[in-house]
Amino acid sequence: MKIKKEPDLEEKLKILSDAAKYDVACTSSGVDRKGEKGSLGNSRACGICHSFAADGRCISLLKVLLTNHCIYDCKYCINRRSNQRIRTSFTPEELCTITIEFYKRNYIEGLFLSSGVIKNPTYTMELMYRTLFLLRTRYHFRGYIHAKAVPGAAPEIIQEIGYLADRMSVNMELPTRESLQLLAPGKSHQAILRPMGQIRQQIQDYRLSIGKTASMERHFGNQYLAGNIFSSSGEKSRLAEAFTGTLPGGSRGASEAAVTGPAPSPVPIGGKAPSPKDSHRPFAPAGQSTQMIIGATPENDYQLLKVTQALYQQYDLKRVFFSAYIPLNEDRDLPALDTAPPLLREHRLYQADWLLRYYGFQADDLLSPSRPDFNIFLDPKCDWALRHLELFPIEISTASYQELLKVPGIGNKSAWRILQARRCGRLDFSSLKTMGVVLKRAQYFITCHGKMRYHIPVEEDFITRQLTQNEKSSLWELEHPRTYRQLSLFDDHFLEAAPTVEDSRKILTGQL
Amino acid sequence: MVVFTCHDDFESMMTCIYDAWAARLGHSNIKLRVEPIEEPELFCEYRHIHPDPEKYRKVIRSIRSKISENAYQDVYRASMHWNPDKLDIIYRFLVLGFAMGPRVTRMLGEPYVAALFDLDRKVTNESHQFREFIRFSRLNDQALFSLIEPKCNILTLVAPHFADRMPSENWLIADKKRRIALIHPSDKNYFLTPVTPQELAHMEEARKGDTYSSLWKAFFQAVGVEARANYRCQRNFLPLWYRKDMTEFSR
Repeated sequence: MKIKKEPDLEEKLKILSDAAKYDVACTSSGVDRKGEKGSLGNSRACGICHSFAADGRCISLLKVLLTNHCIYDCKYCINRRSNQRIRTSFTPEELCTITIEFYKRNYIEGLFLSSGVIKNPTYTMELMYRTLFLLRTRYHFRGYIHAKAVPGAAPEIIQEIGYLADRMSVNMELPTRESLQLLAPGKSHQAILRPMGQIRQQIQDYRLSIGKTASMERHFGNQYLAGNIFSSSGEKSRLAEAFTGTLPGGSRGASEAAVTGPAPSPVPIGGKAPSPKDSHRPFAPAGQSTQMIIGATPENDYQLLKVTQALYQQYDLKRVFFSAYIPLNEDRDLPALDTAPPLLREHRLYQADWLLRYYGFQADDLLSPSRPDFNIFLDPKCDWALRHLELFPIEISTASYQELLKVPGIGNKSAWRILQARRCGRLDFSSLKTMGVVLKRAQYFITCHGKMRYHIPVEEDFITRQLTQNEKSSLWELEHPRTYRQLSLFDDHFLEAAPTVEDSRKILTGQL
Repeated sequence: MVVFTCHDDFESMMTCIYDAWAARLGHSNIKLRVEPIEEPELFCEYRHIHPDPEKYRKVIRSIRSKISENAYQDVYRASMHWNPDKLDIIYRFLVLGFAMGPRVTRMLGEPYVAALFDLDRKVTNESHQFREFIRFSRLNDQALFSLIEPKCNILTLVAPHFADRMPSENWLIADKKRRIALIHPSDKNYFLTPVTPQELAHMEEARKGDTYSSLWKAFFQAVGVEARANYRCQRNFLPLWYRKDMTEFSR
């Protein structure tokens, strides 16, 4: 396709951010870096969201593609080769100027740079490198940079980019090898896992070289949680289990495809030691992440969660993102175009992801081969608690941090506050509430000095009924974000046409 | 009942606490309020307290040494809240704090500690939200400027963040409601200064001329996924109230 005129900067930005919007991660967290005189920018480990788009997702980074030219033909992707779209690219200077000017106006926290594959993966990454290099050196940018590694690129260029970026990510795209073959014929599972292994190894090397532990820092609460997914004792046995391929669904192949592949071993970097220029730069200090599309292929939640856990354990990822499949292309291997994106399922997976990373749960605690999918009415923690009522109610004044975290409605902040506050005084339900405990859920599972809040039978049926009554309306809204509402006489939200003269006459004469 | 009143700034509040304490009227017989007093109560004696640097320093020193550095920071943040009852809450918190020592900050079961914690949390959250949602504008490579209208007085709380972030830029953040501005000259320390309504109006007009705002709006429109549109979720994270000074929501 011939483009008549080169689009101007605003059009380019529109096209290339529109093409990048299906990437999920927009986090700017994981690294603390102070500002410096003469440079621009700093970075905060908590991450800073600068705005929220109409879909409710945070905008914290300038999320763009360097180019939307692509040599691949992945069936789910908007930028696939066979789609007729306007193709364009940023020059490194254009992208640097936009980033710097946006950053100064506090619009963004940094740059999220991804790209369609132009010519070949290595060439694409060289273009990305040139942009990031300019940004870091000529523009003295110290803000956050998230760079995508393109599977199949040479290890040297991935390494070079790792020294410029704060976070690297390689997209898993799809959780199993079979699905990937079906939907992304140009990509291979091995090729995706290889850069992931390399980045993991180099992060580890860097961390050891500055005297930190080999694996990434996790939330401080994890040290008090026996059997969490990051603890080394739990990891070994679970790993062995994952490797033997005991996954359900009759697909030994699926589980293998997901979690095996070469165990992350040092990738030979062509004998190239980090050059002295790089030595003062950290290698991807905010770790690496990945994302998977859910709902395009038939994997169940149990498989997805197992893969997620394996990724955390084997590749020491900081985050795994899920992206509800949005039909963009028509294809015989894809769900129909009018399929609604499985938002609730995505939400449940994220909830479970948090349970893995912050609450000391394992994938096998939450789901099992016989119950492979999440309950749509209850969040995973409530669901788990209802199946383990023998552990409840828990006494607030004596329970350990780990026990408190198992209570639905208590998160790690409120658990921590409870631990501190009960040392100095008696707690009651109202003070729990001010600390941030969600009593609506927690009241069924806790006692305070031997008493429950109300006279509540600890019965699965009763509690389930109570909990789902509360949740139903909010879930409906989650599944149907834009839907019809009950007619009300006094609202006029959907009334678009202004009343005409005749209307008002009719009102006067009483016809309307 | 004796009510001690003072202006709404940290120095006056600390002096007020000193004088209220030194009056020896009994903690239960006094109240502390910040001005303006909108509805004076019957049978109350109102005493206005003028700021005094000596007393103010004494109060701060005893909070830091007898309670803890954390408690001092909590008190400082709580005093930036909009609520006129904050001063009384701080006073009661300090009464308890001087008796209990550093562990008072953890005693969330106590009503006044919980109340101070609430004030502190609101101010901390709001200052974090303004760290996120402040938008600067700039005309022809002049200084960056921003107009905000926060509920709590968060200027001094967001200042270190932006000073660290843009040390070599000229920028200012102006609080429309309190008519004060935080000014940061390039490579120097920042300071607070009053601004006039004319200056505010001038800035209000000037920020429409920023050329990058249309680029940002284009990006903001393009990056949302229509198939996932969820305005309610957006409002949860970014309440309408914060949007009035944000570039992407302005017309």
